[in-house]
Amino acid sequence: MISDLFAIDRSTPVIIQGITGRMGRRHAALMRAYGTRIVGGTSARAGSIDEMPVPVFATCGEAVAATGARASVVMVPPEDVLDAASEAIAAGIGVVVTIAEGVPVHDALKLKAIADENDAVWIGPSTPGMARPGKAKLGFLPDISLHPGDWAMLTKSGTLSYEVGYRLAARGLGQSIWIGVGGEVVKGVRFADLVAPLAADPATRGILLVGEVGGTEEEEFADALIRQSFPKPVLALLAGRESKQGVAMGHAGALTFGAAGTLQSKRKHLEAAGAEVFFSLEALAAHAVELSSSSDQDTSEEWVHG
Amino acid sequence: MLLIECDGKALFEAGGIPVPEGIVVTGRERPALPGGGPWLVKAQVPAGGRGKAGGVVFCATEEAVDQALERLLGRPLLGHRVHACLVEQAARGTEAYLSLMVDPAAGAARLSFSDQGGVDVEAAARNDGALLCEVCVADPEAVGVGIERLATRLGPQSAAALRMVAPALAELFFARELLLAEINPLFLDVGRAVAGDAKVVVDANAISRQSEIRRFVEARPEVYADVWRKMNEGFDFIDLDPDGDIGLVTTGAGLSMMLIDELTARGGRPLNFCDLRTGQMRGRPDRLIRVLDWLAAKPGLKVLFVNIFAGITDLSEFARLLTEALARFPRPDIPVVARLIGPGEAAARAHLAAVRPDLATYADLDQALQHVIAVSRQ
Repeated sequence: MISDLFAIDRSTPVIIQGITGRMGRRHAALMRAYGTRIVGGTSARAGSIDEMPVPVFATCGEAVAATGARASVVMVPPEDVLDAASEAIAAGIGVVVTIAEGVPVHDALKLKAIADENDAVWIGPSTPGMARPGKAKLGFLPDISLHPGDWAMLTKSGTLSYEVGYRLAARGLGQSIWIGVGGEVVKGVRFADLVAPLAADPATRGILLVGEVGGTEEEEFADALIRQSFPKPVLALLAGRESKQGVAMGHAGALTFGAAGTLQSKRKHLEAAGAEVFFSLEALAAHAVELSSSSDQDTSEEWVHG
Repeated sequence: MLLIECDGKALFEAGGIPVPEGIVVTGRERPALPGGGPWLVKAQVPAGGRGKAGGVVFCATEEAVDQALERLLGRPLLGHRVHACLVEQAARGTEAYLSLMVDPAAGAARLSFSDQGGVDVEAAARNDGALLCEVCVADPEAVGVGIERLATRLGPQSAAALRMVAPALAELFFARELLLAEINPLFLDVGRAVAGDAKVVVDANAISRQSEIRRFVEARPEVYADVWRKMNEGFDFIDLDPDGDIGLVTTGAGLSMMLIDELTARGGRPLNFCDLRTGQMRGRPDRLIRVLDWLAAKPGLKVLFVNIFAGITDLSEFARLLTEALARFPRPDIPVVARLIGPGEAAARAHLAAVRPDLATYADLDQALQHVIAVSRQ
């Protein structure tokens, strides 16, 4: 269930699939250092490696039975993501984050269907992950960009969102939750899926959306805001104003065809839903600061120090 | 990645979807024209809207074909150079529309048909409801059921055409892992349906297991330059503005896009998009050397802007690789502005200051952008 994301904290038991790989080892250590409760991992090489700081299992089923893991961070190559994430879901894991970039789209379609059937939450592919700043992170959002606070950050691009988080953190603004939905065409959690839970989340003052050209996710998100009569401020930064038709700049999802997915279309939809749209980092940051200082700071204090 | 029409049609033909007889012309040598006229000469660029942009020419005579080829080949069209033209017999019949695509919001496959094909079918159909859709679970069986369901909503000629073409299109969609397979127009004639155009979007992520698609890219590296580069280099570099003067050495797709927007808004002209993926450099400067070589070849280059927001990458190592690569940069006169932030940034700046005191280094992005713009105007 999508609400499971809002329950992730220091006590949530997390496994890393592919923990014995270069990426898996490194990020397991970084996540632990941040406070994430990594209880184990899986690897085809389970048993043959003994210097790991947490137990390594051959399968997710064994890992879940032994550790009670409720979330998994999948750190395997893109062509193995479908099998690995399906295995986690079959083992009863409720939140699966897949980091790898380059997952074939037809694999993503299959995985989305599997996640939906099992009521599991899939974040990815091609995402730096998600975080509840000050509590835990699943993935590799950089610590210098994470800061406990009361804005929900919903982002497509990794690096661009780091820049936004960093710029806001430098001015004392932080995040209640940060969800990187990723830059691919077909994905698990989409911007629009997060509108209802964020409307209900008392720790969230508003949404900072970091979107980009291509796809229709920002438009769907705007429609969801309207359906929900979303009661909190929404600020959106959109990248890709200078992109060419038919050219995907790095993100497969950033490919545009005709009118759908253009920045004009996104801006129109978002503004019609009451969101404020920005095309520069500084304009977004300045406005977020303005909104934050003009309202009651007391309600946010506990989150700033949370 | 959008295939050019002739490659899309090669895929259709191999999959059993009839296409007009045609030839591909790339240079002065033109093979014999297919059958008797009239013909269509169609510029092969990976972009929609070719007809409106003058890239599709109806020709009644052989002389007209040659004139059209002369006019189109080598010219820019919709932001791409025309490397090839497809010349084919003009098909006859009523025009319909058929497509099968990935529907990201539904996580499904979307089958669409309209008995009013043509240039503006999507816009027109949205307005008067003439575009019929079936959203199906993305597997062959469900799409087969969707085709039948859609056929029952159509008149007899359209239903027959749909049953003739859509199953083959669906087979291609799944076997070749397509994102979009669109036929517009689909010419309907007595007992026959012919694909007048092919708009096929393939999944660049699946290319390592799709050898037929890979062969298209390898056969035309000049057309599919971006994907060819990604296949062969493992990172993204896209030429943006041939008259630009700011060379970007950047990492992260979204941030690089944003930097292009920020520079352009300040009156700058970035030459390129670049996502180095610094996390994959593994202690070697090769990737940086490649990018610097490509940028050095740009006659307009006035300044290099290095921007790395490192989540994990150790910047002290990156700085060492950067100075190694810059030592081999063929244009040492070009000023370099570097903005580095993340783990090891202090050590990185110290290294740059020691080895390349001429570099302007910043932690603040806005200051760095300002400096880049100032230098590009000199």
